[in-house]
Amino acid sequence: MIKHDHKRADDALDKARREFTSASAGSSAGHPVSATNELYPHEAAPGHLAALLTDLGEKTLYDAAAQCNRCGYCETVCPTYTLTGRETLSARGRNQFMRMLVEGRAKDPADAEEALSTCLLCGACTSACYAKVPTPDIVLEGRRSLDGYGENFVSRAAVFTLLNTPWLFAFWLKLAYLVKRTGLPRLAGAMGLYHLLGMPGLAEAEGSIDKVPLRFAAELLRKDPDLRPEGKVKVNWAYFAPCGPNFLFTDVAMATVRLLKKYSGDGIFIENQCCGLLAHNYGRLEDAREFARRNIVRYEELKAVHGSFPVLADCASCAAFMKSYEQLFTADDAWRARARAFAGAVRDILEFFRPEDLPPTTKAQQTEHGVVTYHDSCRACHGQGIRREPRAVIRKFTGKRYVELPESEWCCGGAGAYAFTQPEISARVLDRKLRNIASIQAETVIVGATSCLIQINAGLRAAYPGAKAVHYSVFLDSNNAAGH
Amino acid sequence: MFNKKERITRIKPELEALVGAENVRTDEAEILLYSYDAGMARARPEAVIIFNAIEEVAPVVKVLYREGIPFLPRLAGTNLSGGTIPLKGGAILNLARLKKIRQIDTGARIALVEPGVVNLALQTALEPFGFFYAPDPSSQKVSTIGGNIGENAGGPLCLKYGVTSDNVERLEIVTPDGSVKTWSFRDNGPDLMSLMTGSEGTLGIVTRAWLKILPLPRCIKTASAAFTSMDTAIAAVTAIISAGIVPRALEAMDRISLEAAFNGRHNPFPAKTEAVLIIELDGPDSARLKREMTAVEAVCAANYCANFRAAADEAERELLWAARKGAYPAMARLAPDVLVEDGVVPRPKLPEALRQTREILSKYKLTAGLLFHAGDGNLHPNIIFDRRDMQEVKRVKKAGHEILKACIDLGGTVSGEHGIGVEKRVAMNWLYGPSELDFFGRIKKAFDPKDLANPDKILPVAEDKPAGSAGLSDKASLSPEAREVIDELRLRARSGTRTAVTGLGTRLKPERIMEGALPLNLRALAGEPQIDRENLTARVEAGLPMEEFRRRLRAAGLDLELPDLKGSVGGLIATKACADIREVLLGLEIASADGTLMEFGGKTVKNVAGYDVVRLLCGSMGAYAVILAATFALSVRSKHQAAGGENEQWDSFEPDEYHLRLKKEFDPQNLLNPWIYREPALK
Repeated sequence: MIKHDHKRADDALDKARREFTSASAGSSAGHPVSATNELYPHEAAPGHLAALLTDLGEKTLYDAAAQCNRCGYCETVCPTYTLTGRETLSARGRNQFMRMLVEGRAKDPADAEEALSTCLLCGACTSACYAKVPTPDIVLEGRRSLDGYGENFVSRAAVFTLLNTPWLFAFWLKLAYLVKRTGLPRLAGAMGLYHLLGMPGLAEAEGSIDKVPLRFAAELLRKDPDLRPEGKVKVNWAYFAPCGPNFLFTDVAMATVRLLKKYSGDGIFIENQCCGLLAHNYGRLEDAREFARRNIVRYEELKAVHGSFPVLADCASCAAFMKSYEQLFTADDAWRARARAFAGAVRDILEFFRPEDLPPTTKAQQTEHGVVTYHDSCRACHGQGIRREPRAVIRKFTGKRYVELPESEWCCGGAGAYAFTQPEISARVLDRKLRNIASIQAETVIVGATSCLIQINAGLRAAYPGAKAVHYSVFLDSNNAAGH
Repeated sequence: MFNKKERITRIKPELEALVGAENVRTDEAEILLYSYDAGMARARPEAVIIFNAIEEVAPVVKVLYREGIPFLPRLAGTNLSGGTIPLKGGAILNLARLKKIRQIDTGARIALVEPGVVNLALQTALEPFGFFYAPDPSSQKVSTIGGNIGENAGGPLCLKYGVTSDNVERLEIVTPDGSVKTWSFRDNGPDLMSLMTGSEGTLGIVTRAWLKILPLPRCIKTASAAFTSMDTAIAAVTAIISAGIVPRALEAMDRISLEAAFNGRHNPFPAKTEAVLIIELDGPDSARLKREMTAVEAVCAANYCANFRAAADEAERELLWAARKGAYPAMARLAPDVLVEDGVVPRPKLPEALRQTREILSKYKLTAGLLFHAGDGNLHPNIIFDRRDMQEVKRVKKAGHEILKACIDLGGTVSGEHGIGVEKRVAMNWLYGPSELDFFGRIKKAFDPKDLANPDKILPVAEDKPAGSAGLSDKASLSPEAREVIDELRLRARSGTRTAVTGLGTRLKPERIMEGALPLNLRALAGEPQIDRENLTARVEAGLPMEEFRRRLRAAGLDLELPDLKGSVGGLIATKACADIREVLLGLEIASADGTLMEFGGKTVKNVAGYDVVRLLCGSMGAYAVILAATFALSVRSKHQAAGGENEQWDSFEPDEYHLRLKKEFDPQNLLNPWIYREPALK
């Protein structure tokens, strides 16, 4: 009798499993979303993701949001909830808001403005979630329809320039830098140059950047004969220059390339476009797709000649975004497969080296950086699941001087342009990061994303000048240089 | 009459002056996002008020009470019974920012915290001092101390260390009318602190909590035992506890939850495993622990255990726990929604409860993993469904109700740690009779006459029509002597005769009895104690001398974890001469001043269905009701004697305003021990 019941219950479990697998494979089977409940009019569909690629398979926006069972286990990892104690500014709240909008229970999308615009998109909630509900993607979908698909002049101009006339973008940026160098940063601000370029981050960041480059990494790398694909049969790696290292932290890009050359043999510079994250987060999905397509095409051209190779990027945001390229093309079968292949080749520099790849260090080298710690950039730990790899390498270089950062996965508040759109919350998020850094008396904080580098350094300069944030590549490269 | 919108608008400036304009929120977004919690109920509040300091709470509550606007406190909103849903609108009091740990006193073993402190944050703060706070609900990563107290949360460790109520020392409460009180279970007189614990915000709001903290055990040993049938697994559980071993955790899961937890990954248990126990022991002495673990293994082997594994190191321990802790996440991935049901039965009844649960689930074509705290008979079917499928939701609700009814039929209760909230209100009708529900209603009325503090929670409302079951009162196995007491009380109530409730005269000396009060001697209530050896409980009548009761227990190889005390069982409870008696007291049968028989609590270790009347009556000195019989949790007789002694000052009792209010509700004519609450105060 008991056996029998178990059997029946077991069958039910199997059935449920089957149903849910089929539901996840075939979008919203069984739960049709009525037309009136859609978040956006049909003609706006190209400006949205056709489906979200979640941990539980491909889902419509509605199904992805409905997968949240409101257990609330994401609340304590959500920086904005932790700081404000408000459900409205929590991961669960944001998800529920989107669900209510789709279901028509929330009437006016404008009400969601505060909830959606305050999201750092850090993804800590997804890491904490058993069902891995992709809250950042859900929030972005909401923002897209709320913000009018990035149709304001600034973002349109910036993305357009970056996409179609990168030389013009570079020109404007250099002009801005020149103004800054001549000691008239306020003038640059007043001219609205940074904003025009869609990189408002730079306006604030100027205080945290010692010197702005007048030669961008791409220009330097293009001139490097070692990095040319011509004549090479096999390449071990291809360097993808993310916008941060390219336009702002040239030293990061150069350090990465030096490391790759030294420890991974022959490689090339892929001469990429922007990964498209900027356009993606501004709500301009069609533009993001265009960036993606160009990068994919470039990769395929090289692959046709040189066979498979990993595409290395040294900004976690950029690498994480490229790894998710497939999600941009779920409604486009031809491009979808190509995007998946490209995404499969992308590697973050943080995960690339193994400790045994690198030479042993001396005691003197280990103490050189003082107390060293590692900050998990959100798009590395939550976006790509990279946690162990960089730590293993850093430990090798620092020995006992490495101290684990408390709450190392707490966002620094940089989050792209967030520091400038939500200065108040951003400052509080950063404050907690700085306290944690100070609590272990760290002197060197190793990070893996440009945004963290700007944000944490700006914070440290003001509150804890004894420490500084250093990009992972630069840190490894400096050990490397000292060894010779 | 104001319409709803106006009533908040009218007082908004006043509220804003108290907490700041940005902290009184009435915008649509905030309203929408406070209309749900982790349960299934939904209702919109009219305002959300955010507090930045404890001192702001009472003044705001005063204003709301004056205006007749309902309110309820809310923290992380992870509760599973709809307790934080504003059924009548009104204001949500968001206490989440009140999250300071104010004091950790390892000498006195007390932590003073604000309600918003997350359970795990407290554990993390205690760890460097080598201490911990025992209640460990699965939600401890997010759920807060305030919420844990409101729901009287449990967790795996409560088998050994007790539920939240057992780990709270003192509470500061903002009562529904906005006054601030501090109560401890050690205060003389009826135990108001314990009444607050598990009251789900319907009697007041916790603003400070003094919690008991314990030194971290020096050694922990974990093992798993696989069985080919659930019956033998539970037999092993009973045998372990009967052997005098109290594990810090004794968890179980059935095959379906195991498979879900190990979905696709290597399942370390033998192929025909139907049930797995996770057994964890702790203590200061590793040699002794080793001996105990050997004994556990022997017990399991004697019960046909198929595979016993003791964790050799921390990694293996994690692996064993992964089977238990992975089960809920696995269910959460199988479907959009999971209903975590919560029923309790006396431990030996677990196999039967599980069999019935499985039958009910398959009748309604539902999928669920069964997890349970086997040590205390608490079962948690995790039923998966999709809330968008209305038919499925109906089936889930029906199945949930049937599972609860099955628990009641097996002598259990409808909630062990999740609370009643709104979702189990209807089940209160099945568990209790009208007189018990009426008694709960009086408690609510004493604290909150305007019914504004989290209204319509816990107690059934008109729409939850009684569904046939008559409740427990009919089941009480009353002795003829007890019936006589009841008849006598009825007669006296009719004629307005005052009663002095006396036992053996150990503490209540004749000279203290007020003139004109007719003694009611309970000496005759001294029937043979009913000892349930398997479940380790005993029901005993109130007039039996404690010493006699213990003699009987010891003869059966059992005991009470209490110091040696003199006097009748009922007298000891009524005087609270030893405050620790609350920890072993599970149930009471009482008669009110007008001779109404009621039964609260019972044979289960965990019970959060309704207010904690059992503990309230500890120290009630016969003035609230007459105690007829009590049910105690027993322990296996051990050599060592519980420390502590009698509180000499048991009778220096200055009634609090709320003691008086309760008295007026329970005994409006002041018939029982009338000298305790003086006449003028009662008028």
